[in-house]
Amino acid sequence: MSLDAQTPVGDPLPEGPPKDAPIEFSEAQLLAEPEFDEPLIAGGVRCHGGFIDGEYVSPRTLVRMPAIDAWQSRLRLEGPGVVDISREFMPPHYPSLEQAKLLLRAGVQKPITRSLTMISIVEGFGAMIRDVPVPDLRAAIKEDLAGTALSHLTAGLFEAHARDEAGHRDQGGHKQMWEAARDLAFDNPRVPGDVLARLMQGRGRNRRPPLFPTLPEKVEGLIATMANVMVIEIFADDVFSWGEALLGDPEVSAAAEAASRMVSYIRADERPHVEYLRTALSEVRCRTLLTIDGGEIPGREVVDAILAQQLRGIASSRPREQREALHEEIRADIAEMRLSSELMRKFTALDDGWTFPRSEDDPIEIALS
Amino acid sequence: MILRVAERVVRSALIGYAAGSVWLRYKGPSWLDRIARRDPKARDLSAIHQKNADQIYRTATRLRGLLIKMCQVIGTRSDVFPPAYVKTLSQAHDRLPPREFEEIRCVVEEDLGKPLDAVFSEFETRPVAAASLAQVHRARLLDGREVAVKVQYPDIEHIVKTDLSSVRRICRIYERFDPQPMELLPLLDEMNQHLALELDFCREVESGDRIRKLFEDNPAVVIPEFYKEWCTGRVITMEFVSGIKVTDIEALDEAGIDHRRVVQGLMGIYTRKIMAFGFFQADPHPGNIFIQPGPRFVLVDFGLAKELPEGFGLGLFELMFSMMTFNDQSMIRAFDELGFETKTGDKSTYVEIARRMIDRSESRRFEGEFTEGMTDELFEAIRENPIVQVPIDFVLVARAFALLSGIAHTLGHRANVLESMAPGATQLRS
Repeated sequence: MSLDAQTPVGDPLPEGPPKDAPIEFSEAQLLAEPEFDEPLIAGGVRCHGGFIDGEYVSPRTLVRMPAIDAWQSRLRLEGPGVVDISREFMPPHYPSLEQAKLLLRAGVQKPITRSLTMISIVEGFGAMIRDVPVPDLRAAIKEDLAGTALSHLTAGLFEAHARDEAGHRDQGGHKQMWEAARDLAFDNPRVPGDVLARLMQGRGRNRRPPLFPTLPEKVEGLIATMANVMVIEIFADDVFSWGEALLGDPEVSAAAEAASRMVSYIRADERPHVEYLRTALSEVRCRTLLTIDGGEIPGREVVDAILAQQLRGIASSRPREQREALHEEIRADIAEMRLSSELMRKFTALDDGWTFPRSEDDPIEIALS
Repeated sequence: MILRVAERVVRSALIGYAAGSVWLRYKGPSWLDRIARRDPKARDLSAIHQKNADQIYRTATRLRGLLIKMCQVIGTRSDVFPPAYVKTLSQAHDRLPPREFEEIRCVVEEDLGKPLDAVFSEFETRPVAAASLAQVHRARLLDGREVAVKVQYPDIEHIVKTDLSSVRRICRIYERFDPQPMELLPLLDEMNQHLALELDFCREVESGDRIRKLFEDNPAVVIPEFYKEWCTGRVITMEFVSGIKVTDIEALDEAGIDHRRVVQGLMGIYTRKIMAFGFFQADPHPGNIFIQPGPRFVLVDFGLAKELPEGFGLGLFELMFSMMTFNDQSMIRAFDELGFETKTGDKSTYVEIARRMIDRSESRRFEGEFTEGMTDELFEAIRENPIVQVPIDFVLVARAFALLSGIAHTLGHRANVLESMAPGATQLRS
């Protein structure tokens, strides 16, 4: 089915792909490793990725990164561009850099160790993306999917993402790299015993009802999952800045350079994740989705509505709840300390009071780049 | 007194007879092999294992008490015992003929210090459930509240002590005669500990209260309230909460309850208890779990509630997480953290077990599920590498997961453990 033969209900997607760049890949190609001069070893654990000419190179990027670039170039040349999230929606990490430093200078390491451990575990759970049910997209989308990121989700993209996050076989992934950064910076700190209790707290929230009941459940589910992960991955950039700066500060970190570098490697590895998700969502956005009752919905309508909903959830109510919960945790952690109320006063004074920049009724526009 | 002594002699004799038969079934062929200059180790013992397991099972169901518990323990130790034992003895469920009501009435009146009708306006003489140590009756308090009354058998402590000392004596004799004995005494010690927990009803009430508090943020978990003024060391009076037995497929269907959500919800509750709280019911068999529409999960019987050592939950999390994300190096570190030990200190055994589990997971695309098959495989791998010492807490947890997997299997679904361990990822990264 040629794209030109269709009348997309979404944004127009003109002619075929650029002739010079390949856009079809096997799973083996998308998982292929560059030839590293030396591996990355962190805290005695062999991690993924490695070094070429002294520079860190992310794992499984030999073909994956050029492939994503090719799919994006095609989108930019032919269509409305690639979806993006405005950084104004990005909630800052809590506790902030200054708050974290204040605690560490006062000898309060537990909340930061807990925070870093939780980040490592959440990173690891990124591996669940390989288990996301992917429907037959060729039956769910009107236009052709040849040579798209969408047609490669289960042919290497999700698997590479999963391996990057949780590690694979004898190699550590981001989970183990965050742990290594934590252990380097704080000299193998004792992990608070309540980490899992806090992570599993408040679960069993009701699942959101479908926004588009006429779409096959798995199709909306897949788009929502990709949108959710993409927003999280984009917002994680602030966590990386926070981590690099905090763990790289010799005043509070025992191995400032090594710990900070480790976070920078993870940050570099996340780029392919953000980019393939942006690409796949943009490809849906400029196509037409088929409904269970024989109708059609423009992909743009679906992607934009789901992204807006995700942004409101992830960037507005959750950070507020999370900040309140963390505030209580930190208060409990320092309760036994001398001058704890003074420390808490200073800590609270450093809170920037960030709030989501849109009210309930304001529309959220999806950026393109 | 004379009756008690006679009973004690009969029980000891029956236990001794069964133990002697089991031992001779192994030793007889082995002696014959030696005479015929055959290698006794080359003999296929599976038929003998089965015969012995059947005899132990028959004796246990006849004598009940401790022996039923012993069967249940052996039935979970696939790391130690051959499959014939595990399969046969794990059938020794807590479903037994009830005791006479008069015996039960005596315990209740003695413990509450009042006649039955001074506390209850109604008390059903037929129990709703009967197990090896106690039975449960439906009743109504004078103020009209409907209750379930769990009553310990009057002589159970005595029976347990008698059987325990008989079995211990037999184990000592066995160890003296066998140059390479299987280490049975530690298993008895473990059982002794569990029985002490299960016979202490005050502790059971405390454990139930604690689990209710831990799940106060989750309305889907229902723990019946205990009416403390009517609870003693042998009697528990609690709110009567109705529900459908978790494996009653027909009733679940009639109530329109989604089996998949039951399986996943149950796994989520246990994962949280074990890994996050380090405190869990080690005995999640179907008779202890009831389902209400929602689904809501009614949990009863906290006799075998177990506190796990600090750090164990995180270690277990790492082990399961690494297995389900195909990371053998992390799995090996987790074995260490959990307290697994090799006699030589050599870690290659862990590598072998880890690789075997990872290969199994990856080749079958198991998508985060932890099935009965995986538990069996893990213990088979451990049994085939006998230098590994398995921490007892791990065995208890594996048993709980195996029981849950069994429930999942009955309901025709698999629980995704990875999903049940997962946090609300977005809450954290943002």
